[in-house]
Amino acid sequence: MRARLALVGAIGLLACGGAVWLAAHHLPNRPTEPGPALELLVGISLLGCGIASWRARPENRIGPVMVLTAFAWFAAQLIEASAAWLNTIGLAVQSVWVIGLVFLLLAFPAGRLHGRLDRWLIVVGAAAALGLQLMAMLYGNRAGLRCPGCADNLLQFTHDNHKALAWLSLQRLIGAVLLVTVIVVMLRRWLLAGAAQRHAVAPVLVAGCATLAALTATVCLDLAGDPLGALPANVYFALMATVPVAVMFVFLQRRLARGMVAGLVVELGGASAAADLRQALARALGDPSLELAFWFPSEQCYVDLDGGMVALPEPGSGRGSTFIERDGQPIAALFHDPVLDQNTGLVQSVCAAASLALENERLQADLRARLIELQASRARLVEATDSERRRLERDLHDGTQQRLVSIAMSLGLLETRLPSDAPEARPLIRETREALTLALAELRELTHGINPPLLTERGLAAALDELCHRAALPTRLELALDQRLPAQIESAAYFMTSEALTNAAKHSHGSEIRVVATYADRSLTIEVTDDGIGGATTAGGSGLRGLADRVEALGGRFTVSSPPGRGTVMRAEIPCV
Amino acid sequence: MRVVLADDAVILREGLSRLLQEAGFDVVGQGGDADDLLELVERMQPDVAIVDIRMPPTHTDEGLRAAKTIRERWPTVGVLILSQHVNSRYALELLSTGSDGIGYLLKERVSDLEELTTSVNRVGAGGSVLDSAVVAELVGRPRQGDNPLEHLTEREREVLALIAEGRSNRAIAERLFVTEHTVEKHIKSIFGALRLPQSADDHRRVLAVVTYLNSQ
Repeated sequence: MRARLALVGAIGLLACGGAVWLAAHHLPNRPTEPGPALELLVGISLLGCGIASWRARPENRIGPVMVLTAFAWFAAQLIEASAAWLNTIGLAVQSVWVIGLVFLLLAFPAGRLHGRLDRWLIVVGAAAALGLQLMAMLYGNRAGLRCPGCADNLLQFTHDNHKALAWLSLQRLIGAVLLVTVIVVMLRRWLLAGAAQRHAVAPVLVAGCATLAALTATVCLDLAGDPLGALPANVYFALMATVPVAVMFVFLQRRLARGMVAGLVVELGGASAAADLRQALARALGDPSLELAFWFPSEQCYVDLDGGMVALPEPGSGRGSTFIERDGQPIAALFHDPVLDQNTGLVQSVCAAASLALENERLQADLRARLIELQASRARLVEATDSERRRLERDLHDGTQQRLVSIAMSLGLLETRLPSDAPEARPLIRETREALTLALAELRELTHGINPPLLTERGLAAALDELCHRAALPTRLELALDQRLPAQIESAAYFMTSEALTNAAKHSHGSEIRVVATYADRSLTIEVTDDGIGGATTAGGSGLRGLADRVEALGGRFTVSSPPGRGTVMRAEIPCV
Repeated sequence: MRVVLADDAVILREGLSRLLQEAGFDVVGQGGDADDLLELVERMQPDVAIVDIRMPPTHTDEGLRAAKTIRERWPTVGVLILSQHVNSRYALELLSTGSDGIGYLLKERVSDLEELTTSVNRVGAGGSVLDSAVVAELVGRPRQGDNPLEHLTEREREVLALIAEGRSNRAIAERLFVTEHTVEKHIKSIFGALRLPQSADDHRRVLAVVTYLNSQ
């Protein structure tokens, strides 16, 4: 960017030098043309301020347009050249730079024309400045007059002073109307703008209106037949040099809050992430070091884009801070270059424009943090349930079951020691022992349901094998799984299969079940298919909902496909990281 | 008959020891984990080792692994596994080392002194014992595809289940209130249906049944 601007500047200076030299050697009978001093002043003003504005606001067209206007300005001096073709070009583009000036003033500060009227003004201006000029050139050289000592006009095919003057007068007339219209448009726009904007663009408005007024006066004098009115022309040229300076001044002062805010609003419309938002704000405020932090009300602190807590900069630490509120509630903070503290107008406008986007982004960040926390807490819940199940099973095994077995043993012992003359006691003891055995069998079933020992001891593959063998319906198992997986994943897969088998046996009215368990690409897939009546759903309080919750808590996906009459397919995919 | 015990729950170990002594067995040693057990077996060379399947340190299948070690190192020592769970897979794993002198019983069975005595004696004598609940699970398994068990009649299944428990033809006949001759006829037709070569040996029959079930 910098190199490109330097190149443009160098070429511009060369052109400027050429133009000034031409101006210094012009024919003495052209007093209304700018002399070498004005040529230099206006040219340098357009070129220098154009490049400076270009650099300050690369995305804004004002800078490049100013530079182009400078080149058009220099090109107009070619009429002083002695070569016929250079003179012809110079004549043709003599008024083109006025179009640049008009565009500049209409498009300031956003760099874009505001509507159809603006575009029409430019089109009509271009037609007058270029089109009517070319028409006049068909009949004469230099303002329709014979020009002794001038180089030839290559477009001229006959000399007809009347026709040439008629075309030029039309051009001047249209030009005058156009210029007055532009002044009116500018003033109206300025009056309609808000206070901040009015304040910000005032220098350009003043310089622009003065220049256009002087130009209009020059054109009118010209029309009135006094083309040698040198004073208004010189005044106009001198004023003309102030316009680029005013533009640059406004740009560099960064007082263009509204214009920039408008740009920011457009940008925010497309911003999709907090990082984009930070960039947009950094651009609008011209501070690449800008940092953005969101207010988290529940934690009562500011949190940066990576989710880390942010300490506020101390006063005098070389960082400024601005706090953004919405309806009296803090939503975000900006940490920036302390220079911006002097420019509170811009910062406030930017903050106001961005507050909705910031609030939105803050809520999203909050939501993201909550979702992550929610996912983590679901996973923790599942893990807690699993370890609770294991603990319960273990407690039952080591405690209740053993105690009951021990009681059964004592009963067995008691039975052998009964005196032979107590025949009525024996069947009673046997009955008690049998009841105890039954209780133990029930307890065994219960603990097996809580946490099947085989799952813990031998893993999912073995446990699924056992599960399928115990199933109430004939069940075929296809296993592509030869390793142990994390306990909570094995548990989820096992209980999902178990519940699916129970469901199929109870509700499907099918005759066969197929279970496929596959581990591939760090993901476990379990599919349970029956050939029953279908119609299973995870809606409501069914056990399927619990299965889905459990699988989803582990970051997996649980789906049920159960079209009526075409069987049921339950499928769980659990990532194993 | 000389017996060693291994169970980490002292209360059960003591109770079992008393029961065994009551039944006339000679309890020559007790241990709380697999290492104790292996040392006892080496030192005492008992006829039968009675082993709880869950022992420290992991409380999973230490007993089963110790049993396999015993089968390997001291093939003459019978092993009777006690478990609180019906786990046909473990039973099959154990039997795959050979069915001579092997038993797998649910813990509460030991409260029936008669059953305990019979089982320990059978294992000590080189026979095999499989808990009826385990056999029920193995035989009662629904199977897919071409299942030879489906060709068996209800009665034949019943007989097969009793065979798998390691019972003699006579015991089966008594249990089913039929003649031994009838039982032999059933067994013949079972073996036919399962396409197994005939053998007079009880243990071979168990092994055949178990091997068949295991291969499914």
